[in-house]
Amino acid sequence: MAVTERAAQPPVRGMTLTDAYRSFRTAIGLGWAIESNWSDPFLFAIYTLAKPLAAAMILVLMFQVVTGGTNTDFLQFLIVGSALWNVVFGVLAGLVQSILEDRERYRMMKYVVVTPTSLFPFLLGRSLARVIISFVAVGLTLAVGVFFLGVELRPDPLLLVPAMIIGLLAVLSLGIFMAGWCLQLRQEAWSYPEAIAGALYLVSGAIFPIDVLPGFLQPIAYVLPTTWWLEGSRRGLLGHGSPGQLGQIPDGTVMLLLVVTTAVAIPVSLVAFAWFMKRARQSGLLDMVTGS
Amino acid sequence: MSGYRATPATNAREAAEWSTRRVFANNLRAIVGRAYPRIIGLTREPSWIFFEILLPFLAVSAFVFVYRALEAPEEYIGFVVLGGAVTAFWLNVVWMMAAQFYWEKDQGNLELYFTAPMHLMSILAGMAIGGLVMTSSRALAVIGIGSLLFGVTYDVREPFLLAAVFLLTMIPLYGLGMLFASLFLLWGREAFHLAQLLQEPIYFLGGVNFPLRALGAVSGFVAAVLPLAVGLDAMRQLAFSGAETNGLLPVGTEMLILGAMAVVFLVGARYALAYLEHLARREGRLTLRWQ
Repeated sequence: MAVTERAAQPPVRGMTLTDAYRSFRTAIGLGWAIESNWSDPFLFAIYTLAKPLAAAMILVLMFQVVTGGTNTDFLQFLIVGSALWNVVFGVLAGLVQSILEDRERYRMMKYVVVTPTSLFPFLLGRSLARVIISFVAVGLTLAVGVFFLGVELRPDPLLLVPAMIIGLLAVLSLGIFMAGWCLQLRQEAWSYPEAIAGALYLVSGAIFPIDVLPGFLQPIAYVLPTTWWLEGSRRGLLGHGSPGQLGQIPDGTVMLLLVVTTAVAIPVSLVAFAWFMKRARQSGLLDMVTGS
Repeated sequence: MSGYRATPATNAREAAEWSTRRVFANNLRAIVGRAYPRIIGLTREPSWIFFEILLPFLAVSAFVFVYRALEAPEEYIGFVVLGGAVTAFWLNVVWMMAAQFYWEKDQGNLELYFTAPMHLMSILAGMAIGGLVMTSSRALAVIGIGSLLFGVTYDVREPFLLAAVFLLTMIPLYGLGMLFASLFLLWGREAFHLAQLLQEPIYFLGGVNFPLRALGAVSGFVAAVLPLAVGLDAMRQLAFSGAETNGLLPVGTEMLILGAMAVVFLVGARYALAYLEHLARREGRLTLRWQ
């Protein structure tokens, strides 16, 4: 009898683009509410902007102490690298902490996973608030550089726009990989975004030329999309490249290497995320609380 | 088996009247009990050590390479390594002291603290002692690895004075953490943002990666309120040759400032806790999760 009734009902449809969009849109609102934490907007603005500005000012003071304000090319290199790095940290922290918060703090992950929509659009929407905040931090840091520190921007949209779009895709793919990976972890999953962002910060030439790195780390810098994204964006913003070897490479080659490394990173991260999710379902990791 | 020996009381009044010795022993037990998980965690959760060493070390390395790119004098590399080690203590104060009561509330422990027959200062003291021991291992590792990898040379002529300055720095630092623990709880959901706010901006104001006097006029204000900055400035003067010229104030003066800060922050923490306890009992709201 039960079988007959079930057969009489219309078949359950799969997820449509409309479902995915609805899930994405709802997750954006949720992410923003959690991120702003229902706080006073003025206080929230201070919290959000003080951190990246202070990070940039540390580098400026280090520069001033040693050079006394000469070698402004290096100062521009520092400011732009420090500003753009907010995006990497925002994306990595946004994606990973969203997935961990929903699993361990709010304990909603398993409910999201069993809904007809996919976790993927939800996760992207949920972390979008942090990504947007990171772009605000980029703009603010650059504005401080231009208005108070003498940074001269010579934007080249033909280089800047594609570098930023492709670079953002590369960073998102890293974030997606990390989010899936952190679902597998029992301890210290919360520390991974900071650890990975810190490691990338070190080897991507964000605040110093990669020539300064020990020899064994330099090949790693050359295969990372973040290195080429930073270099392409710097050229798009400042009109010239980084000091050292990287700055000698032609613009076309920099963009080509950015495209190639991103083209590798995206499918690898998507396949890895799908595998991580499958493993998380099979191993019961979606509602695990690590207590970390 | 617990070492606790309970003596059954014959009536409620007798049960409520504790001797000074019993109160002292009970609070001492609370301090040890709260410090225990942090110290024992050193051996039971080695992954913590990896991250607590790795994260400060990555930041230290990045700043060292910036100085190398700028061809800075070698003592600046040492400044960064020492700053990185002290940063480990600051992170411990922010996340495991200041924000701790907020997390305890979320986990449901806070109301147990309020109802247990002990002073909340004992809990905070236990957290501080445990955190200090736990973080010392990480700070030593950062200094050891950083010094070896980056070839930092020290010129310590007064090791006992340096040790005294370090200990004197830790008292107001953790006292500040105790004070913040109550304030974070009062400010409720802003706790996470506050903890974030107390990182890079404090590293900047504290001169973690450059001599404090580079901040100019601001450094005077910083020296009056931030133990991290004053202690680090004094330790640099005692650990590196020629660093006296980069110091903000003489070491003796900075030690006096640290001593005064220790008194102010510990007394402030005591009053903040009393106010918090009063609110918790009157309104019953502070122990509610998600508030």
